[in-house]
Amino acid sequence: MAEQQQRPLPAADELTRPFWDAARQHRLVVQQCSACGYFNHPPRTVCDACQSQTLAFVPVSGKGTVYTFSVMFQQNIAGFEQQVPYVNLLVELDEQPRLFMVANLPGSEREQVKIGGRVEVYFEDVNEEISLPMFRVIAE
Amino acid sequence: MWSGKGKTAIVGVGYSQLTRHSQKPLGLLAIDACQAAMADAGVAPEQIDGLTTYPELPALGAGNRDGEDIVSVMYILNQLPLASDIRWYAQIEAGMIASPVIEAVHALLAGACDYVLVWRALHQPRGRYGAWSSTRASGEAQFVAPYGATSIFQWHAMQWQRYMHKYGATREHLATFVTNSRRNANLNPRAFFYTTPMTHDDYLASRWIAEPLCLFDCDIPVEGCVALVLTTAARARDLRNPPAYIAGYGQNTSRRRTLFHYALDDYIACGQSLATKLWASSGLGPRDMDAAQLYDGFSPSTLYWLEAAGFCGAGEAWSFIQDGRIALEGELPVNTFGGSLSEGRLHGMGHIAEAVFQVTGRAEQRQISGAAAVCAIDGSPMLRGSGLVVTKEA
Repeated sequence: MAEQQQRPLPAADELTRPFWDAARQHRLVVQQCSACGYFNHPPRTVCDACQSQTLAFVPVSGKGTVYTFSVMFQQNIAGFEQQVPYVNLLVELDEQPRLFMVANLPGSEREQVKIGGRVEVYFEDVNEEISLPMFRVIAE
Repeated sequence: MWSGKGKTAIVGVGYSQLTRHSQKPLGLLAIDACQAAMADAGVAPEQIDGLTTYPELPALGAGNRDGEDIVSVMYILNQLPLASDIRWYAQIEAGMIASPVIEAVHALLAGACDYVLVWRALHQPRGRYGAWSSTRASGEAQFVAPYGATSIFQWHAMQWQRYMHKYGATREHLATFVTNSRRNANLNPRAFFYTTPMTHDDYLASRWIAEPLCLFDCDIPVEGCVALVLTTAARARDLRNPPAYIAGYGQNTSRRRTLFHYALDDYIACGQSLATKLWASSGLGPRDMDAAQLYDGFSPSTLYWLEAAGFCGAGEAWSFIQDGRIALEGELPVNTFGGSLSEGRLHGMGHIAEAVFQVTGRAEQRQISGAAAVCAIDGSPMLRGSGLVVTKEA
């Protein structure tokens, strides 16, 4: 069997390492502003809401609502050739309006996804260093 | 109202050939377009003393060899026999296609130069457009690329899904827009799809790219260039063609940076901010427009612009475009040249060129009667955007 390229994997940096370290432990954390309490995702160097530079990662519930989604058919991305069609999900986390995360959900759940549907995080261990937060449909 | 209203004009338009993959290097296509624009204006190369462009290549990781992938100010300066003494130039890295035109207007109003050449050259990188081949996702891509979300069409697909859900639009409603654009392109000899008609059924049968967007919701990538010549209104009166006066403009961008982490409302709000400036500067409003050339890199963008610019209410664009309202003979003809979906991806230069053709009575078979004011707006509308109103009278 021909060797298949791995999906693109996050290259953690100083700003984002706490997020990926927590994910490795199957915990979802989001950067929160210590000054005003606003959640910033993806992580920022200054708070989107108040421009404070005092930011810390805090655990979140991992529950959210499907804001929207699409189904990718184009074989554009190395590592995803065998996965099309797959769902790209935009999840609005419960902690704050418009606190969005992009994710996939299990292929078997493609027919169940709907805007406004409830989802919760789970973690997919991709290799020894990286676990990716994913979301699956939950009953409400 | 803007003090510069009607004091500058677009006086020449030039196109290179538009093809999927040109045998000619991009730099030579740009020279073709620039020479055509100068000839159209009746301005000699020696009279050009200002140069500006927006050279950005819209593909991650693609090359940027000057004259092959992009065409910079320096390339044109070196390759085209122009004025011996260029007085002003600027290379715009933000905004979109109307932005270098706006800079040209500022330079003319300031007396920095007399005749400006503006061009937009677009190259189509080999291979699949927008492909992602790296195994590393750094920066903000680390929160999207691991999920196979890297392309702007996926972003548009997600937001169009939200729009349909929120307002009750369907794919059939979008088909009306796409087939209307194609019908207009069938009257535009420069259009890539000039000889190719499209029915509603053709649209509905086309393959998904990212559901709910299909192949025909995406603009057709071409290689080519469009160039414009601008000058002051006083000089414009003595030239070959009637001037298309610059009545007003608007620019906007979003403070947020990530491609995917937006709400649909953010799109519209960003467009509204641009439109507010456009209407305030020109002293005109959506009801004064005789046609609208609204960016369509992906088909839903035009609908968002219709709402953001106030041509219809929030959530109404999908119904507004039905019943022939946006056809050439309708109450608000939209993308009368076929748009990027059908003429080819020129990142909004085609939209500006068509606005000029309409107000100067040069749109040939596509000419709408009594075109006195037409707007051309670029952008998604999020992230980057710029727009112009051009008028028949100063």
